[in-house]
Amino acid sequence: MRMIVLILLISISLAGQIRMPAYQRVSLDNGAAVFVMPKKDLPLVSLRVSLRGGAEADPAGMNGVGSVAIEMLTRGTEKRSREKLAEDLDQLGIRVQTAMSNQTASIELEFLSKDTAQVFALLEEILLQPKFDDGELKQLISEKVDAVKVAKDQPQMVLLEYLSSFYFGKEHPYGRAMNGDELSLPKLTRAAVAEHWKRNFVGKNLVVVVAGDVDSKAAELQLRGLFGKVASGTAYVPKNVAAPKTGAARLLLVDSAGATQTYFAIGQPGIERVNPDRTKLELVNTLFGGRFTSMLNDALRVDSGLTYGANSILQIDRLPGTISILTFTKTESTEAAIDLALKQLEKLQSQGIDAGQLASAKAYVKGEYPTRALETINQLSGMLTNFEIFGLNRGEVDDLISRIDAATLEQVNQTARNYYKTSGLVFVLIGDAAKIRKTAEKYAKDIRVVKINEPGF
Amino acid sequence: MNLLAIEPLPVKTGQLANGMKVIVEEDRDIPNVAMYLFYKIGSRNEVPGKTGLAHFFEHMMFNGAKKYGPKMFDIVMEKNGGRNNAYTSEDLTVYTNFIPSTALDVTFDLEADRIRDLAIDPKMVESERGVVYSERRLSVDGNNMGTLNEQLRAAAFTAHPYQWSVIGWPSDIESWTMDDLRAHFKMGYAPNNCTLVVVGAASFDQVMGLAKKYLEPIPAQPPPPAVRTKEPEQKGERRVKIEKAAQLPLLMMGYHVGDSRDPDYPALTVIDALLTEGKSARLTNRMVDKEQVALQVRADNPMKLDPALFLFLVQPRSGVAPEKAEAVLYEELEKLKTTPVPARELDKARNLILAAFYQQLKTIAGKANLLGQYEIYFGGYEKLFGFDQRIAAVTAADVQRVAAKYFREQNRTVATLVPVKGEGK
Repeated sequence: MRMIVLILLISISLAGQIRMPAYQRVSLDNGAAVFVMPKKDLPLVSLRVSLRGGAEADPAGMNGVGSVAIEMLTRGTEKRSREKLAEDLDQLGIRVQTAMSNQTASIELEFLSKDTAQVFALLEEILLQPKFDDGELKQLISEKVDAVKVAKDQPQMVLLEYLSSFYFGKEHPYGRAMNGDELSLPKLTRAAVAEHWKRNFVGKNLVVVVAGDVDSKAAELQLRGLFGKVASGTAYVPKNVAAPKTGAARLLLVDSAGATQTYFAIGQPGIERVNPDRTKLELVNTLFGGRFTSMLNDALRVDSGLTYGANSILQIDRLPGTISILTFTKTESTEAAIDLALKQLEKLQSQGIDAGQLASAKAYVKGEYPTRALETINQLSGMLTNFEIFGLNRGEVDDLISRIDAATLEQVNQTARNYYKTSGLVFVLIGDAAKIRKTAEKYAKDIRVVKINEPGF
Repeated sequence: MNLLAIEPLPVKTGQLANGMKVIVEEDRDIPNVAMYLFYKIGSRNEVPGKTGLAHFFEHMMFNGAKKYGPKMFDIVMEKNGGRNNAYTSEDLTVYTNFIPSTALDVTFDLEADRIRDLAIDPKMVESERGVVYSERRLSVDGNNMGTLNEQLRAAAFTAHPYQWSVIGWPSDIESWTMDDLRAHFKMGYAPNNCTLVVVGAASFDQVMGLAKKYLEPIPAQPPPPAVRTKEPEQKGERRVKIEKAAQLPLLMMGYHVGDSRDPDYPALTVIDALLTEGKSARLTNRMVDKEQVALQVRADNPMKLDPALFLFLVQPRSGVAPEKAEAVLYEELEKLKTTPVPARELDKARNLILAAFYQQLKTIAGKANLLGQYEIYFGGYEKLFGFDQRIAAVTAADVQRVAAKYFREQNRTVATLVPVKGEGK
């Protein structure tokens, strides 16, 4: 009995401590959503500006336009050249990062709190008076094309890119490289980039978060001062796109001649962000491929020494994403490793998980959550942005423990059976095609072969 | 310009009777703890024929001991809500645990079990050998930067063990024996060769209580023998060329510098920032932005126990010969020697260094790592809090003097990766 009481105490104490810190949300008249979260343990502030739409808002054939637009912000304003802007940002030690996701394009500035007023002035200029200089744009585009080539020199960097493209297809927004590729980037013109920015940088698309060493009142005034100036515009309307059809297995073989290792991904349909199965699916995936002792890593690494690591990841976006197995092995053991990965899917389907495993997964997800989601101002500002984008609230964090505890063994096993299928799988193999082509034919009739240095994904 | 001073963290320290030092910072921002064990043993303690052993041993530390058998370290930790990792460098093997505070007791038990009673199972050794070989293919053989870095070091160091990579040569990976593993364990894994750092939701008294209970009974052993070999002075440029299937070339350069306690270390940190930190650094501005000869330029002034290499990594743009990028880089190094850095630019570099420093204080794991590194590389964790002053003390004249001292042709090794069409067909 003592054990049971102890476990109860532990979960109560964690439940009390896994909470979203206090924050304020204000809606501006132009539709912008503005959050302030004071957190004063370090003299740092994160200021994150996100536009709804993200890569989903890139028109077909112009993928990368949103990412180019947001990156162009630091390449000069009407008043400051790129060189001057870079110097002025560096002089204060401001860290600037731009990022694309399928739902948002964002720019985050991180700086010392003593410089807050100067940063707001700089950011105002960056956002309201971007230059989009044609020479700078051409340079950025050619740099991004080179960056894709460099990434393709490291197959593990592009495995997911190939999987997304092959799994979703070019008709689906998630099937197009969100940062652009060698084919789409050179087509982008100054007019297209400037127009994209103008259409999307509007109050109704804005989500702004200030987190860190700030005073709530003062920060709110500063945010109103800057973002109140943005025209309200027209909100981005997400489009409903049908999920790719499932059917017979398909396989993409990306030829990297001379490679000594094969990198492979096995994808299948997953879920969207607000799906009620999400917590249960995360628990299943933790056991299947989400941690060191997972079924995949245990079989492919620990028991057989076939790889340095095997895992499975959930893509959880606005539209249903994928569940993907990712790993690599030496060329000669490609077949053994794929077979062993597939065997784990069969094992999960046929045997399910037991009560001990579920208890362990629950403890693991609870235990690592604070370091994964609640520790830094950057994590917290990302979380608040997601609340707004996906229509969530602080219950997402505060009720995590109760959502996990509510998942029964029967429900979790049903979730495993519903999602971790053994047929209709989508394979991507990057490796030496001359040596693994025969192996590939074992897994699908429908096979496409491309060379890794062919433009695009 | 006024630099913001670093506020000391509320750190407490203790020492176990067997010689293990314990460093604790209580931080209850989240209900988690980062527990780091720094063993002062790495690839510099290896000999030819047994390269990569320290790193391989790091893997073996997860493969079973007396109380917790094979797989149990991870199974027990994960079911208690924790996860772990480890890394090996030329100097250190570091074990890192990220746990909810409720798992502190069991984590001490797990750590004590494997330090005291590691079981080296021959079956696990063979399977783990495959894992490490796969890691080598991922990080060296199939990675252009990894390949080039390995060859650069092999040429830059002719005598000192920094000449081989931490992962080890393929033939050595195939050859490690059970005796090698047992000898390595005996040499490096004693409590007196370890610094324990705990940061997070745990009090100093709680940590010391557990350390005394679980770790103090483990007896001390003689420390690893001193690394005697000193790298002789380099007396002329060395060049290495790698031909490899790739779309773009790569370029690396290494200059011999001192260890991390060398008085020139802070000036080299400032030089690193002047050249490559931020968006307006000299090399970035000229090579990436203006002349467009490079996609990326990075420098690294590493923390090392023995005299090390100050590294430059250049990713040339497509169609640009690496030699062209190389020539531009040398021009900028010459400028550092001949023209004093303006005060405003020096301030900018210091601010960027400080900003990067704060990034590491944002997480309990970052703080645990930093406290341990300062304890080992700079002679005491408390040196962390004087970091800003040491950087502020670097003058324009120091930058000139230090640049002239190290960035000489005779002192450099240059490695170039030249793309060839895919091997085979």
